[in-house]
Amino acid sequence: MAKHKGRGIATIEYPTGMNQNGDPSQAWVKLKPDGRVDLFSGTVDHGQGSRTVHAQIVADTLGVPFEWITNDNTNTDSSAVCTGSFASRGTFIGGNAVRFAAEKARERILEIASRELEIDPSDLDVIEGEVIAKGAPDRKISVPEVAAAATWTYGELITGTGAALKPFADVNDDDGSVETEPHSAISYAACVADVEVDDETGEVTVERLIQVYDVGRAINPMLVEGQIEGGAMMGLGLGLLEQAYPYYPETDHRGDEFGAYLAPSLEDLPDLDNVIIESPSADGPFGAKAIGEMANNAQPPAIASAIHDAVGVWVTEMPATPERILRAIDAKRDPRREGKRVVFDDELSVRTMSSTGGNGFLETDG
Amino acid sequence: MKLTVNGVEHDVQAPQLASLLHVLREELDLTSPKAGCQQGGCGTCTVLVDGEPRRSCLLPLAAVEGAAITTVEGLGAADELSPMQAAFDEHYAAQCGFCTSGFLLAGTALLNGSPGATREEVLEALSGHVCRCTGYVKIVRAVEAALHGEVHPERVEASFEPEETDVLIPGSPA
Repeated sequence: MAKHKGRGIATIEYPTGMNQNGDPSQAWVKLKPDGRVDLFSGTVDHGQGSRTVHAQIVADTLGVPFEWITNDNTNTDSSAVCTGSFASRGTFIGGNAVRFAAEKARERILEIASRELEIDPSDLDVIEGEVIAKGAPDRKISVPEVAAAATWTYGELITGTGAALKPFADVNDDDGSVETEPHSAISYAACVADVEVDDETGEVTVERLIQVYDVGRAINPMLVEGQIEGGAMMGLGLGLLEQAYPYYPETDHRGDEFGAYLAPSLEDLPDLDNVIIESPSADGPFGAKAIGEMANNAQPPAIASAIHDAVGVWVTEMPATPERILRAIDAKRDPRREGKRVVFDDELSVRTMSSTGGNGFLETDG
Repeated sequence: MKLTVNGVEHDVQAPQLASLLHVLREELDLTSPKAGCQQGGCGTCTVLVDGEPRRSCLLPLAAVEGAAITTVEGLGAADELSPMQAAFDEHYAAQCGFCTSGFLLAGTALLNGSPGATREEVLEALSGHVCRCTGYVKIVRAVEAALHGEVHPERVEASFEPEETDVLIPGSPA
């Protein structure tokens, strides 16, 4: 009876947005007469920071300071369409919609500035809130002046609309198969878990999680890290603690309070090492892909693998509760089930966990 | 009975055994304490009672007569954050925000009571609070930053206005 250390690794890939048709997001931006920018995006921010990220995308696309952007609060009645804040789609799909909207508004800024400066729009650039002639930086007009001119001189409104839609899939009516272009925003991640397992009590302590996420481009690294850290603790809960229905499909003994349904607490907090990798996507805003749902997927298999490394048993049901670990250890010590001798084959167990890429599970041939 | 909340004395009408949380939210319209599990397990309803963090969902009104109650509304305003609030803002210690007021008050009590707290004491002081978004890391970092006085409130002040242009626009209203 002792405590055993183990290390496990898991890798994942995660798509952005819904895998089938469409999945639209829409947005529009307009300039107030003083140059401030109103952004109307359908994406709802429930704490992940999409309002900040969208404002950053608009600011950098337009060429104006971040502080000039105001996000309108979305409402169901009049806001632009967005299928929702899910599927890690806020930055990639919602962010593309606001980028396209800002690109059109930028064209309008250049067009109005062109009339004021009498310079062709293609020879103008917008940098830090000023429209500047390329190669002649003293020929310039500020964006607030452009917005004022549009309002009071020309009687126009500087605005831009944008929408993002995923490519449609070809559905084969004969066999029901679906063929679609693999879109670029597949994010990749790896997680290394260091655990300590007590083979007497079955308790697992996660000591360290090393987390590596390829998010294309971290538009806001602090927000990305917030998603990674939050996802790590959710994944730790899924892997070890959270059991909504212990005897599913029976609903008896359902955890209905924090003493029975164990959510990860500060006492469960391991050392978290986060690494953000930027491998830009071809068509995301500024190369961004996704972080969000993917952040809590790699920890449960990494922890299960680390438990195997520590005590030599595979726990193939989540969460890996002390009871399940002790039963697995017992089964390995005494390979009898219902009076029959049943040998637990470690290698076989691993291979049955390997996916063949969506076509069901790999056949094991011994 | 009389209840002093954030320095203001209120005459409350609720029965003696009503929970402090209910009185704060429903009668005094102070909604920073949240009704989470309502059985003392999650920490979102935490308020300071004479400077000590307490679960307002478990406190009957009769138990706090004469006490000074502090909620997040009494910590600081949007343009004048308390050191703990400024640290939370600077370190992105809130995501959905549901647990935040409880963590802020637990952190504030620690800052006032034992500003030299070690990391273990910080974890102990915060351990009764559940957060499901942040993974706790940035909350612990924010509380430690506030304890060490490493807060930069100037970073949270943002200008939301472009600079005034003194160009006279033809046709514009005076």
